[in-house]
Amino acid sequence: MIKLENIHKYYDKQHVLKGISLNVNKGEVVSILGPSGSGKSTLLRCINFLEQPTSGIVEIGGKRVDVESASKSDIFALRTSTGMVFQQYNLFKNLTVLQNVMIGLTSVKQLKKDEAKKKSLEILERVGLSNRLSHYPAQLSGGQQQRVGIARALALNPEVLLFDEPTSSLDPELVDEVLATIRSVADTGKTMFIVTHELNFAREISDRVIFMEDGVVIEEGTAEQLFNHPKVERTKQFLSKATRNS
Amino acid sequence: MENLLDINFLIESFPAIISRLPITIGIAVGSLILSLVIGVFTALIKIYKVPVLSMVSSLYISFVRGTPLLVQIYLVFYGIPKIIYYLQIEYGWLLSADVNSIPPEVYALLAFSINLGAYLSETIRSAIESVDRGQFEAAKAIGMKPTQMMLQIIFPQALAVAIPNLGNMFISTIKDTSLVFIIGVVDIMGQAKILGSRGLAFFEVYIAVSIVYWILCIVVERLLVTIEKRARRYERGIAS
Repeated sequence: MIKLENIHKYYDKQHVLKGISLNVNKGEVVSILGPSGSGKSTLLRCINFLEQPTSGIVEIGGKRVDVESASKSDIFALRTSTGMVFQQYNLFKNLTVLQNVMIGLTSVKQLKKDEAKKKSLEILERVGLSNRLSHYPAQLSGGQQQRVGIARALALNPEVLLFDEPTSSLDPELVDEVLATIRSVADTGKTMFIVTHELNFAREISDRVIFMEDGVVIEEGTAEQLFNHPKVERTKQFLSKATRNS
Repeated sequence: MENLLDINFLIESFPAIISRLPITIGIAVGSLILSLVIGVFTALIKIYKVPVLSMVSSLYISFVRGTPLLVQIYLVFYGIPKIIYYLQIEYGWLLSADVNSIPPEVYALLAFSINLGAYLSETIRSAIESVDRGQFEAAKAIGMKPTQMMLQIIFPQALAVAIPNLGNMFISTIKDTSLVFIIGVVDIMGQAKILGSRGLAFFEVYIAVSIVYWILCIVVERLLVTIEKRARRYERGIAS
């Protein structure tokens, strides 16, 4: 479904991803944990070329792209087969809630307006925001904004959803509504890739958990394996510290 | 008794001056539109650091900022016919253009567009650069093409930021159009000069024309406030 092969990323001379290879199966929910600066967000952003990976291969839904020779249409294909949810929501500020969800359908998928609207309304219903259609992002709480962000990503019906620390900028009391929305999306069998600091959430929702540090995968396994019986000392350390803090 | 002002002459000069308002407004609005096109293109060229063209843009902006508008008007008025003529004689280009039949209004429009375009360029560039990077990323992530991203997401937000500055420059331009009489365009200022010399009552006509400029600028300012409100309507509003 998603396959990453030997992904490297350099910022100038700084080597931030050191040959990451991963396989994510259809319908799988995979969380990536790790300390700040471990490269987990960069990895996510390399999948849809918000960061240009330096070398390696990205494959999504049968579309195989060698990043060094990726053409514009390759990048377009990867972007339309992924949906991204950002830490800072990044809703289009000049568009209403409904327009934010619709714009991908009308501009990118070139659906007719009424068809796009019908789809968008369904999706906004699912994230519980049918009563905020003509609000602008600035008029919403962080939690509501992030739910619109999820709706916008879902609208294009991507093969995989990428979540980049979706709850890290939220007030603590707004985290739950967003996690509940993510959970409900996971329940529909969507393939998801989640970078998060919410360990309990990751443990509960993930089929598989990956622990990264310094641009390499230190350990990966099922949530139960990784949280209850981590094999690598560094993973144990991280999990015990992080759970103590949370 | 010596009168300070010939009030009757002053009042009577209004209709003739106002009849030239379309020229003043036409040059100002026309050059605003053309200069927005110039400004957006040169701003994008500089933002995307297009080789060669970004150097040309910098040179253009530097020249316009470093020379008086009056000189630029003369350069366009005397230079363009000569250049066209030269191209006709030497290369046989533009033969359908009759240099002598180009009205001075066209040169005025060109000169003001070139001038305003350079100033707008910097304003537009900084407005585009002030749009949050996350907006670009979100647009790319859903697969929008660069043009779609610019037209639907980035420009509307940049415009909201730029409007106060654009408005000020537009108002300056309205007032600067008072220079066009020097190349023979009869705008409201030109009409005032004609009336003044005819009646030997310059003080009166200049009072009249300044009132017309003043009112025009007040109206435009009002309009700008409305436009700005509309362009910024998505920023922190009251949730209903």
